[in-house]
Amino acid sequence: MVKAVKGVLVKCDASIKAMLVDIDNRHHNEFIIEDLGEEHVLVKESKIAELKQRLQDTMKERLKEPESSDSEA
Amino acid sequence: MSASSSQALEYLELLPGSVHKKLYDQPSTALAIFRCMLPHLAKTIVMAMLYMTGPFPANDLDAWFRSDAKREKDKAISVLERLHIIMLRQETSNQISYQLTKRFAQSLRQALTGGGTHRSFGVPSNQPDAKRVDKAFLDEYARKQWENILFYMVGSTVGLADSNALGRDVGEGTKALLKAGDFVRIAHGRVHITRTGFEFVLQEVNAQVWSLLIVYLKHASQLNMSETDVLSFLFMLGSLELGQDYTTTTLSPTQLQMLEDLSAFGIVYRSSKEASTFYPTRLATTLTSDSVSLSTSEPITNSLSSAGHRAGKGYIIIETNYRLYAYTSSLLQIAVLSLFTKLTTRFPNLVSGKLTKESITRAVRLGISSSQILSYLSAHAHPQMQKNSPVLPPTVMDQIRLWEYEGERVETHNGFLMKDFGSESEFRELLEYAESLGVLVWKNEEKRVFFVDRVEQISLYLNNKKRTQDR
Repeated sequence: MVKAVKGVLVKCDASIKAMLVDIDNRHHNEFIIEDLGEEHVLVKESKIAELKQRLQDTMKERLKEPESSDSEA
Repeated sequence: MSASSSQALEYLELLPGSVHKKLYDQPSTALAIFRCMLPHLAKTIVMAMLYMTGPFPANDLDAWFRSDAKREKDKAISVLERLHIIMLRQETSNQISYQLTKRFAQSLRQALTGGGTHRSFGVPSNQPDAKRVDKAFLDEYARKQWENILFYMVGSTVGLADSNALGRDVGEGTKALLKAGDFVRIAHGRVHITRTGFEFVLQEVNAQVWSLLIVYLKHASQLNMSETDVLSFLFMLGSLELGQDYTTTTLSPTQLQMLEDLSAFGIVYRSSKEASTFYPTRLATTLTSDSVSLSTSEPITNSLSSAGHRAGKGYIIIETNYRLYAYTSSLLQIAVLSLFTKLTTRFPNLVSGKLTKESITRAVRLGISSSQILSYLSAHAHPQMQKNSPVLPPTVMDQIRLWEYEGERVETHNGFLMKDFGSESEFRELLEYAESLGVLVWKNEEKRVFFVDRVEQISLYLNNKKRTQDR
């Protein structure tokens, strides 16, 4: 029987997806409903904002940004 | 169908059928919906069926379409069904037919050919008004009221002025509405614009008016106003004539209350709160017009949104080195620019600055997308820039997109995942149906799953199918 599952479809790079799965694993799988292959995951609607925030934090931690060269006005 | 009315259409589609039925009692509403909400193909179908006496077999309808246009036909039919304009009737087990909803057909016929004393197109005042106002005054009034609202939202976020000074010209009701619609948030006594608010500010005026009115509609029931009354009044406003005064004596209590709120937005003008007449402004009369007619006749977007730069003149120049010069003295425009530009210098008629990674990512974090920024910049580009093709320097466009992409690494869609199909053919069939409705977002054929952004029609389709199978 066909089922419809409510949620948010997240499309991203494989590398970002790996991070999302990692965050999900560390937080008792409370974000992801279903893994849909390399570049897609289905996320709970109520949790998407929190997941995005956590992704931002993780990226800031892992990727060191080069100093921006905006100084000359 | 214009972009601005598409959000109104989305709102309308989600209303229950009983509300639609009540709405269609007013010929002005039926005409407004027909005129500005329906895709052209749907209009053609409605027109063809308008004077039919009986139901129209679905097979006959199919015969009108080339087989490669099935998708367009399904889309048009599905819009009509969602708005309860046509009904599907099951004649026998394998024959279905369509019929226009009686009330809609009646009202549309009345609107097109006249007759009756329905008064739904407004009643012009028959007493000469001593304090008559002209079109120029109305345009100026609408522009001022609307700009005040926008400036209230943008001004204090970018720190041009404190919110108390800004709020003086904006009514309490309007402020409450902006907050309720999540356009602004108030923290520590300061007004902060939100993601939705940004989208709102960057839209063209007509779309802005609809967005605000939709918030108004959603909160109408809290103010003890009937949604149907509010909606039909809005559709009536769309059919009024600019520069004409209309009497308030035929309006219902709800509509009188609305009149007060709408004059705060600048959508209608009244000389005083007790006045027995009102004037619609250009914001009102363009509510339900097609975008095409709007841009060819009198461009409201330009006359309203760019103060001091009438006749649609652009004012922004961007160089390939990301420097930006804007010939403007309007505080609102400066405020909007400073949402995503690092402005450095201000002269009496010019501000200059630079698009930087910092300023763009800040805007992206606040919820403006790169495409919104780009479309704003190219829509308001200086005539000298307009001669170029593309209007903006490609390097700048690419860089803005890249900066956004760095900040925002995921793309999200709300909706429903369809899964657990029994067979390949079942999957294919529903997938095709979703595609023809235009709701399909993503599919994976190996896993036999797909994602849609709305599910109502699909579940209806599945239920119908189940019923026919059970028979």
